[in-house]
Amino acid sequence: MRETKKKLIFTEIFIIFLAILWFIPIYYLIVTTFKTQQDAMLHPLALPESWQFSNYVNAWTKMEYPRALGNTLMITVSAVLLLVILGSLAGYALARTKNRASGIIFLLFLAGLIVPFQMNIISLYRIVKNLGLMNNQLAVILVAVAINMPQTVFLFKEFIDSSVPWELEEAAIVDGCSVPRRVFYVVLPLLKPVTSTTVILVTLNVWNEFMTPLLFLQSRSRGVILQEVSRNIGQFSTDWATMFPMMMLGVAPLMIFYIFMQKYIVAGVAAGAVKG
Amino acid sequence: MVKTKKQPGSLGKYFVIFIALALIIYAVFCILPFIYTIYYSFTDYTDMHPVDLNFVGLKNYLKVFDTPVMVTGLQNSVIYAILLTGFQVILGLPLAAALNQKLKTKNLSRSIFFFPAVFSSLIIGYLWKYILSSAESGLINSILTAMGFSTVNFFTSQSALYSIIATQVWQWTGWAMVIFLANLQGVPEELYEAARIDGASGLKAFFRITLPLMCPAVKIVVVTGLIGGMKVFDSVYAMTGGGPGNATQTVMTVMMDKGISDGFYSTGAAFGVCFFIIVLIISALVNKLMSKWSKAIS
Repeated sequence: MRETKKKLIFTEIFIIFLAILWFIPIYYLIVTTFKTQQDAMLHPLALPESWQFSNYVNAWTKMEYPRALGNTLMITVSAVLLLVILGSLAGYALARTKNRASGIIFLLFLAGLIVPFQMNIISLYRIVKNLGLMNNQLAVILVAVAINMPQTVFLFKEFIDSSVPWELEEAAIVDGCSVPRRVFYVVLPLLKPVTSTTVILVTLNVWNEFMTPLLFLQSRSRGVILQEVSRNIGQFSTDWATMFPMMMLGVAPLMIFYIFMQKYIVAGVAAGAVKG
Repeated sequence: MVKTKKQPGSLGKYFVIFIALALIIYAVFCILPFIYTIYYSFTDYTDMHPVDLNFVGLKNYLKVFDTPVMVTGLQNSVIYAILLTGFQVILGLPLAAALNQKLKTKNLSRSIFFFPAVFSSLIIGYLWKYILSSAESGLINSILTAMGFSTVNFFTSQSALYSIIATQVWQWTGWAMVIFLANLQGVPEELYEAARIDGASGLKAFFRITLPLMCPAVKIVVVTGLIGGMKVFDSVYAMTGGGPGNATQTVMTVMMDKGISDGFYSTGAAFGVCFFIIVLIISALVNKLMSKWSKAIS
């Protein structure tokens, strides 16, 4: 018994050491944002000699942060809402209908889990152009909805198949409940776990998507945070006191999201992966 | 008892209503582009020649393998996908096994290891570009100089790809760890107790009990890691932009340059199909290997 305890302590020390090592890049990012350029270069890992909060003000205005954040938020929230509403309804219909058409449609969605949408960007570009959606945020939203739809439909269908008992709906049918009422009052309240899994996975995907905004949003006023960071890195790459706060502002929203929602995010990723 | 005359299969018109919008958006932005990509790959479609497309057979496919940068892109993406996934498994498994024990700091450590996976690979890429910078101000090089070593250039044409992979291992190991942990938590504690009574040490228990039972999670990490790795774009775009020269071009950086910016649409489409075929082969191989593994265990 004593030996296993010793081993446990050894493991603990090793893990703590490794975790500190793992955290250094993030610590470095945070601490550098508050330094002058000279301080950052001379003492890279030390705490700032004097805290330069003005770095953030500077970065904030130069990357037009409120506008970029607003665009990213708008795109992410719209895409996630559309995905959850449309994906849950489609998943429900596929779970409750066992015929050939339903099977084929489900397979069609499943195929999207293997086919990388990136292979199609040339034709996707042309389709977006022909639909007149170029330089329109709707293009990024709809493409995000489309590429995340297979996973969303799959998660909802599997969940309804395994965890939403048909007997409950049967009871509602006996009471003369119409299909929409049944879905709304009986099924919907039971979908909380899978909805939170989906929302988390899809939010991370859409928020961090860089290629489709790069392709479809040309004017700066429509762009997202990542485009702002990437645009400025050319201009300010040697100006650390501006660039590091820009990177920090780039990751800050998700950092805050993670710190508060940690438990749900980790659970969501695990649940989504095990079923996806 | 009322007979269940409304069995699944009778949503009536609501089946169509519920599925329609999801299917339409998916069809327009995923299925249609896929069909067009295959069609374009057999035509002479370029930005200079956008209408009256002619059928040109396999010419575009031959051109893909005749264009050095495209071959490099395919090779680099495969190397990237295999190495990244390999390290995710090799590092993620023991990490998950260690964090599955009753450590006092396990919750904090878990969140730290997972932390980088939340962020955009693009910004993580920019951050690591500073950390690995060959200038003396680069974090790692400044540490090396302080310790009396000479500086290292992490972005030569030989080393750049591996430097990028290393940063991505840092970013994605925690992701794999979380998936492994979820699987581990389903392994009954009694198995380990039995092993302990039989005198199996921690390491032995890991190889005899943990590893075999981890088959499902390993499969998930390997499949998603390989497919995701083949698609890499953001981190390369941020750190090297495909350079120096074309040393770190990947499928997607080439696709964005050649396919879109330079207007070689039909060759780009053929390149996309090649990319897809490689992804299919990888998925099939992994499935086969993994089912062999699970058979070997049982």
